[in-house]
Order: sequence, then structure tokens, then C-alpha cells
Amino acid sequence: MQTSLTPRSLGQPGILSDVRAFQAILGREWRIFTRYPSWMIALFIWPLIFPMLYILTARALSGPDGSGLVVFMKTTGASDFIGYIVIGTTVWMWQNIVLWDVGFSLRNEQMRGTLESNWLSPTWRFSYLLGHTGPQIVSMLMFISITALEFGLLFGVKLHGSVWMILLVMLAAIPSIYGLGFAFASLVITVKEANAFVFLIRGLVMIFCGITFPISLLPGWMQSIAKWLPQTYLIHGMRAAAFSNAGITELLPDLIPLLLFGTFWLVVGYSTFLWMERRARRTGAIGQY
Amino acid sequence: MTDFAIEAKELVKKFPAKPGTGDKNADSTSTPTRRRGLFARKEPKAMFTAVNGVDLQIERGEIFGLLGPNGAGKSTTIRMLCTLLEPTSGTAHVNGFDIVKQANDVRRSLGTLLAGERSIYWKLSGRENLEYFAALYHIPATVAKQRVEELIERMELKERANELVEKYSTGMRQRVAIAKALLARPPILLLDEPTLGLDPQAARRLRELIAQLKEEGHTILLTTHYMEEADLLSDRIGIIDQGKIIALDTPEGLKRRIDQKEVIRLELTGWHDEIAGKLKSISGIENVTTRQQGEADLWEVSLQAQNSRTALPRIVEHIGGNGTRLVNMNIVKPSLEDVFIHLTGKALRD
Repeated sequence: MQTSLTPRSLGQPGILSDVRAFQAILGREWRIFTRYPSWMIALFIWPLIFPMLYILTARALSGPDGSGLVVFMKTTGASDFIGYIVIGTTVWMWQNIVLWDVGFSLRNEQMRGTLESNWLSPTWRFSYLLGHTGPQIVSMLMFISITALEFGLLFGVKLHGSVWMILLVMLAAIPSIYGLGFAFASLVITVKEANAFVFLIRGLVMIFCGITFPISLLPGWMQSIAKWLPQTYLIHGMRAAAFSNAGITELLPDLIPLLLFGTFWLVVGYSTFLWMERRARRTGAIGQY
Repeated sequence: MTDFAIEAKELVKKFPAKPGTGDKNADSTSTPTRRRGLFARKEPKAMFTAVNGVDLQIERGEIFGLLGPNGAGKSTTIRMLCTLLEPTSGTAHVNGFDIVKQANDVRRSLGTLLAGERSIYWKLSGRENLEYFAALYHIPATVAKQRVEELIERMELKERANELVEKYSTGMRQRVAIAKALLARPPILLLDEPTLGLDPQAARRLRELIAQLKEEGHTILLTTHYMEEADLLSDRIGIIDQGKIIALDTPEGLKRRIDQKEVIRLELTGWHDEIAGKLKSISGIENVTTRQQGEADLWEVSLQAQNSRTALPRIVEHIGGNGTRLVNMNIVKPSLEDVFIHLTGKALRD
């Protein structure tokens, strides 16, 4: 029963083909993102709501003459308590959104039924996870820019440093924040549910990384734990770059640990993905929802 | 390198059995093992055998139907062949490539339809879906553009190719999913329940398309639990039950196996289970299966008989009274479904 159809398909393997596939994944993610207008609304409202909780609490606790705020600023070394709080809460929201968005990206595809059809193609499988990251980073940059704009316009928060230095600190933090997201995404495919883990990570960042207070206020053992969390360096570095006009030299104590943690979390993220992929081939976990 | 489009030898797939499900195929002697308590001895974990030594040789250009009830092992077999699952033991080659060691070459050789309409993005248009998957299958951009237009035309999607898939009917979504499988013009197609959930007209059009694809030279492995579909389309059929291929032949060859038997179909109202026992007790009658027709109290009862002339008077005698009424009776030629009943003792849709 031999036939004339060639035994080879139209596909042409190679690095360029993989790059084009990656671009297609980025394009798909961006299209789908922009087709849910509610996400755009959230982009404007969320940056205000969460920091407001802490800002209003700080105002209420500062006393009728606001003297408490003076003490707060003296303790933190910050010139602007609102800016100080906004940076901490923004980093917390960044990590939180990455855990939900990137962390649940494969799981959402699995529930939709599209994960298997992606997995059936000859494209490098890690690119599906990487592809979710691109639009996520763009949307987070928009989120942080909108935060800066809103607090600048509504609360008069002013930048006393270089935007480029802030971006540099954020860039150095991307590998650790997203590496954790990759590991998380792979675990979620395996255990199917991971809300408890998101709450744990969020709680750790909230308590140990000093999102609204200096970590010097924490007991010694808690400060030791804080040093093992990259978000601590991200918050400290961003505050220094935004309000103390810190340059690269002053930022190195934050940038170096961020890059080291980034390498570690990327390796952990990729290894967890490979482990999940192997396990899914044995157990059929990709198709189960 | 094997010359078959698909060749599987002793393919086995075991999964850890879910506790308390009473899996018939659960096997407590298999590895892997688990440890209870810190110092306790390892005890074997019960395993469920979904595919149990499947051997297949599918020739190039052939439509091979894999037929069996839900849970028989059809989808697990397909998932192993398309590299989503690794076999526990055994080997398989697709287009000459080993499914474990050359998984990417296997994926390049295949167009697979799994999960039907759920396998595409509903928030993208039909065209965007095809462009996206063309890139995933590494089709060069200029070729992809032409191929996408060709398939949009062929699948009769042109009018609505730029609309979001969420606005399509089930049949249209299924056509996009099939176009996706055909994008790279793969030599081999794996179609898992392609007509499931389609209305009769859409199912008929899809069956016509599958026949055309064979004419164009594609090898097609088709799984279905629709007997008529397998009968109509397949060059050969493998009947799979409890993870094993229990019969493999052409549709005519399979039907010849029970040529010497006659199939009596009855339609009754007021069916109750004791009647089955009475019918089975009639000499020369075997394999009594029942199916309720819609929501009304109308039952179709199928029996296989050595000699219908001898059996009929006794059948009529046994089903009279007790509120049971015979509405219709036919003696029919054996169908594939009757072959399946003959082989397994149960109906395909059980």
C-alpha cells in the first residue's frame, strides 16, 4: 500500500525555526492578554488599592500632628513615606502576580486542553513557559509605570534618582522572580492546586522583606532569613535608586545577590520543569485535568 | 528502519491505581514501590494496566481503526504513539522513528487530533490558530502562509477565518483542529475520536474528509467507539478491550468470524432483568445485550443465535406476560458491533 505522499513533513528543524516558534508563542500570549479588557482595568486600579491600605494605616498611626511619620522617616531613612511604602508593596504585587500568572500558565493551558496540542509539536517545550513570561514582563512594566504615575499625580511622590538605575535593579531581579515562577508552574502541573504555596511565598515576602518597614526592626533570626530572599535586595535597591539617587557602585550590594539568586532560581526553575516533563511522560499528567 | 508507518511491539502502559476504585486491571505485584513509615519495608504499589502488550503493524497509506469501549486503552495507545506518554515496556516506531529515543522526529512525522475542539485557542481566530501552530511545527513562514490559506479554503472556513474561535460551532472548531493536524502535511495522522460530539451532518462531512486524506496518501490511525464509522472508513480494524487487541482483521474478515451466527434484534417495552436470564437459558442463544432507546420505556435487545428459526418461538414464549410487550423483531446480518459482543460478551457502549 505504498503511496506518493512524502514521508517527511513540511517542518524544517533548526534554531531559526525554534526562534520563530518562540515569537509565535509571545504573539499568541500578547493577543490573548489584550482580548481580556478586564485585565487592563485591573492594571489601573490594583496599583492604588493595595498600597493605600498601608498608607492610610500609617497616617492613622502617625498621630494628629503627623509626628509619627517623622519618626518613621527617621527610622527608615526615607524622605517620602508614601514612596517608601509604594516600592515595597509594588514588589510584593509583582511577585504575587508572577506566581499567579506564570505559575498557573501551564495549568491554565492544561485545563483549557491546549497544553497537549502544544506539547505534540516539535518545539522546545520550555519555550511555552518562557513565552508566557514575555508579555507578563511587559504588563508588569506597565503596572509599575502606572503605579509611579498615579502616586506622582495623586500623592505628589517625586523621584530623586535615575529611572535607569531603577530599571537596572528590576532587570537584575527578573531571573529570581521568574525562576521561582518557572519552578512553581512545573509544580502546579504536578499537584494541580497550589494556592497554599502562593500564600506561603506571599507571606514570606510580606513579613521578611520589609515591604512597609525596615528589616532592621526584625529580630536577628528573622533578619537572617530576610537575607536569603531576593525580594529583600530588590526592595532595598529600588528604594535606594528611586529616593537616594544611588548609582551602580552604591547598588552593587543589592545587584550582586540578586544576580546570584537569579542564577540559582533559574537553574531550579529549569530543573523542576525538566523533572515535571519527564514525570508527565510517565504518568500522563499533561492530559489530566 | 522499519517499513511500516506505525509498528508497536508488546506495548505496555501501567499507571498507579487510584485507591478504592476497584480497577479490574489493578495489579499489586508491579513496581514502582512505596515506603510506609520511616523504617518499614517497601511494599508494592498497586498498578493499573491500561495497555497490556499491544502489537500493531500499520502499513503506509492505510486507515487503521482502533475500536473499543471507553477505558479500553485506545487513547493511551495513541498517547504513547504521539510521545505524550512513555511506555512502561515494549517498543514502537512511527515513520521509522523510535517513540522514546527519537521523540522529536516522531512529532515531526505526525498530525494528531486529540481533545478535538479543546485543542485550539478560543480567544484566537481560526487563521491565528493555524498561523500559530504552523510556527510550532517549524514550517517556514512563506510556506506556512500558503498552507494556512489552502487549509482555510479546504475546511470551508474562509468566510469566518478572522473571527474568534469562541464564536464558531462545534463542527467548525473541529475543522480548525483537523486543519491544525494537517498543517505540516505529515505522512501519518492520529485521529482520536474525530467525530465525537458532532451533529450527524458534520460527522458525515468529516468522514468524507478522512476518506479523501487516505486517497492523498496519508496513513491514518483512527480511534472511535462508533462501529459504523470504523466499518465505513477502515481498511483494517483492531478491536481493543481491557488494554489488549483481541481481534485484528479487515471489517469483512471480522464479520465473517460470526457468519455462521444470526443476530436477532428485538424491541420491547417493560423490560426487566429476569428476562435476560430466561433468554440466555434458551439452547443456542448467546450474548444477550440490551440498550434503552431514548427516555421512553423502549428497549433494544440483541441476541446471537445458532439457528433463529428454532430459537424464535421460544424467545416469544419467554418474553410474553409480566408487563413485557414485544414491539418489533428482526433477523439481521452481523455487524461489527455483533463481532464485538461475540468477542467480549458486552456491547461497545457499555
